[in-house]
Amino acid sequence: MIFLAAQVLPGDVARRILGPFADQASVDALSKELGTDRSLIAQYWGWISSFVTGDLGQSPAQSRPVSDIVVDAIVASGKLALLAFIIVVPLAIAGGVVAAMNEGSLRDRLISVGGLSATAIPEFVWAVLFILVFSLGLGLFPTTAQFPEGAGIFTQIKYLLLPALCLVCVLFGYIARMARAGTIEALEADYTRTAVLKGLAQRTVIRRHVLRNSLLPTIAVVATQAGYLIGGLVIIELIFNYQGIGLALARAATQKDIPVLQSGILIIGVVYLVATLIADILYSVLNPRVRLEAAE
Amino acid sequence: MRAQRSELENHIIDEYRAGYIGRREFMRRGAVVGMSLPLVGFLASACGTEEKGGSSADGEESNKAAVKKGGVFKTGIQIPGSDLDPLKVNNQGSLGVLAQSAEFLIFSDRDLKPVPRLAESWEPNDDGSQWTFKIRQGVKYHDGTPMTSEDVAATFNLHADPDNGSNALSAFTGVLSKGGAQATDETTVVFELDAPNGNFPFNTSSDNYNLVILPKGFDPTTWPKNFQGTGPWRLDKYSPNQGVTFTPNPDYWDKTRSVLPERHEMTFYEKEAAGILGIQGGEVDVLSQFSAINGKPLLTDPNISVIELRAAQHRQLHMRTDKEPFTDKRVRQAVALLLNRDNIVKGLLEEKSDYGNDSPFAPVYRTTDKTVAQRKQDVEKAKALLAEAGKENFSVELRTWENFEMPQYAALVQNDLKAAGIDVKLNITDAGSYYGDAVFGKSPWLDSTFGITEYGHRGVPNVYLGAPLKSDGTWNSSHFKNKAYDALNTEYVAALDLQTQRTAAKKIQEMLLDEVPIIFSYFYFYLSALKPTIAGVNVSAMGHVDVTQGGVKA
Repeated sequence: MIFLAAQVLPGDVARRILGPFADQASVDALSKELGTDRSLIAQYWGWISSFVTGDLGQSPAQSRPVSDIVVDAIVASGKLALLAFIIVVPLAIAGGVVAAMNEGSLRDRLISVGGLSATAIPEFVWAVLFILVFSLGLGLFPTTAQFPEGAGIFTQIKYLLLPALCLVCVLFGYIARMARAGTIEALEADYTRTAVLKGLAQRTVIRRHVLRNSLLPTIAVVATQAGYLIGGLVIIELIFNYQGIGLALARAATQKDIPVLQSGILIIGVVYLVATLIADILYSVLNPRVRLEAAE
Repeated sequence: MRAQRSELENHIIDEYRAGYIGRREFMRRGAVVGMSLPLVGFLASACGTEEKGGSSADGEESNKAAVKKGGVFKTGIQIPGSDLDPLKVNNQGSLGVLAQSAEFLIFSDRDLKPVPRLAESWEPNDDGSQWTFKIRQGVKYHDGTPMTSEDVAATFNLHADPDNGSNALSAFTGVLSKGGAQATDETTVVFELDAPNGNFPFNTSSDNYNLVILPKGFDPTTWPKNFQGTGPWRLDKYSPNQGVTFTPNPDYWDKTRSVLPERHEMTFYEKEAAGILGIQGGEVDVLSQFSAINGKPLLTDPNISVIELRAAQHRQLHMRTDKEPFTDKRVRQAVALLLNRDNIVKGLLEEKSDYGNDSPFAPVYRTTDKTVAQRKQDVEKAKALLAEAGKENFSVELRTWENFEMPQYAALVQNDLKAAGIDVKLNITDAGSYYGDAVFGKSPWLDSTFGITEYGHRGVPNVYLGAPLKSDGTWNSSHFKNKAYDALNTEYVAALDLQTQRTAAKKIQEMLLDEVPIIFSYFYFYLSALKPTIAGVNVSAMGHVDVTQGGVKA
């Protein structure tokens, strides 16, 4: 499907490499060299027969193995997504729980309305704001996320923190809202009332009965964000000059670099499936009814 | 001394003495025809006067300060558009990297002067159909192999061969064919041209992105591993899409350009905005280029020095001369008269631009005849022309793509044309959609009735005068077919001396001002930004950035 969709894009890869002002004879010679002058079926067969053997092929636009390009980019995106996850998931869940436990209070409104407002602001606005304040204004962070090669973990975190915070702002309200709704529902449930009437401490009730149930919808939401966090951060990657998979795919689409485009999208699809699978497993761990239904 | 000079050289000396050309142009023309720089300098001092002109820049004085040796120099540059294979490079980012480790026969400098590099000297025959280049001796590639005249001939024949997929082939069309370069002895390469060409040295220069000298039998697959050239920098590490690091070449032949920094780190920026933030945040010492429209903060930032070079880079606003409503030249003239060029130059481009006069002869070119009257906005005259042509209140689609100020330029055109009741509908896409297959019939660039296309800087206007305007031109988006123009173009290209070139230039300027197949409303400056603590940086409007003499101010 990706292969066919890419054919709709105007121009061919040789023309994209050499540019609009190159002589057509040069474009034809390069097409021949790259094999892009072959029929679509021959090109697709060549790609798929290599792909099933684990060979992702060669990028015509960059003259490098596709696996190198895609793996480098996916690792870069993974680092950024992981940092954002590590910050936003506990923060948003804690925020949601605090808001639910103080339903209707000023604290609840601050978290709910503040979180939703932050979500409503596009990520590139956060990016520009953070760069202006923390990089250019206070000089605390670099303007780029592209850390030097061989940088240690703390240096990498320093470079990745601003873009990660942009994602935190975008995701916080969404996840916190789910956590809040789940917590309110769990707080009003009979089993919670029973636990309270049993005389359990509030902390124990929250940890053992409320959180376990309130996190179920939150986990589903977090899992659905995995695809976005891995492959959908083109704007953030552009502003912070970070070579993630989103940017790699955008470049591949512009250059009509079909092998990179196909492999990159397939790998993002796999990441999304794995994230969903992990969410399902967590769901079943937290919800005994799912396990019992499966057992029956 | 005059007796030892050729007829052409004596002609240039006479032009200088008679005041037809100034000292700067004398130096430049002398270099073009192969007179050595010391000789030209001596003659200029002996029989000339000083003149002002050329490039201007507020950061220029700051950039001249003495610098400390050593340190890491950091440059921000546009991301290369391809894999850096010298045959394929086609953007400033690629060129900027390529020119660190490899060299051209001639360097086309910021004052549009050809400076000898791997060629020591050059001279034409009587009609400019054959050029003889003396190749510098004692130059070695980074692996220690000597650079030879055979390498030079092989490099040119490699690019001129249609089977090799070289991006430079279009620049050689009608100029040099495969086999046209011959190494006649160890120090000499003779170029037999397809037609006489007075500006041929520029074809061999850094004006021609791809023409770095490569070893005979060059293998493009090895290039990304070693960047094997003769240049002042050796490849240390190349990280595709991220950057490249160089260390000094201790065996570099030009001791006047021995490298001062101990390392050169180039960071690639995918988007201009990221590069602008990079220099503002202090992550790079120099930002190779930025545009006036996106880089306004840099123009007013007290912590940034700006180098500005007058240049020939421009946008062509084409009108299809074979398609309604532009078949009548009065309609094309009216459109040109409706444009408010002051708004474009002063508003859109922050005055970092020269005015265009609807021909490729930018004010920066010495051959441009400045006596040709500048076209200015005249709405009433435009309306009268449209009425005469019976083409009032028409509607037309204007196509272009998202590139720097081009969408805003299109909006200004749309607004200006409203004054005469012309309804312009904008169609702004990405580059791929605009250029399509880049051949007639399959490209909005070449097929659209009304469109805006970008052209980069060149040291001489030959490229702009050829493919976009000649009857058989492959980039002729206005479909302008005029035999008189073709003849004038041939006359200009073949001219060896400035007076003949200027005479032909004036005729071309007047013809294009009348015919208006393309509106050239501005030629914008090349802008670079550097930290005020940094000096010794040499940039050219082609996108070269030479930091061999760069560093922190002493």
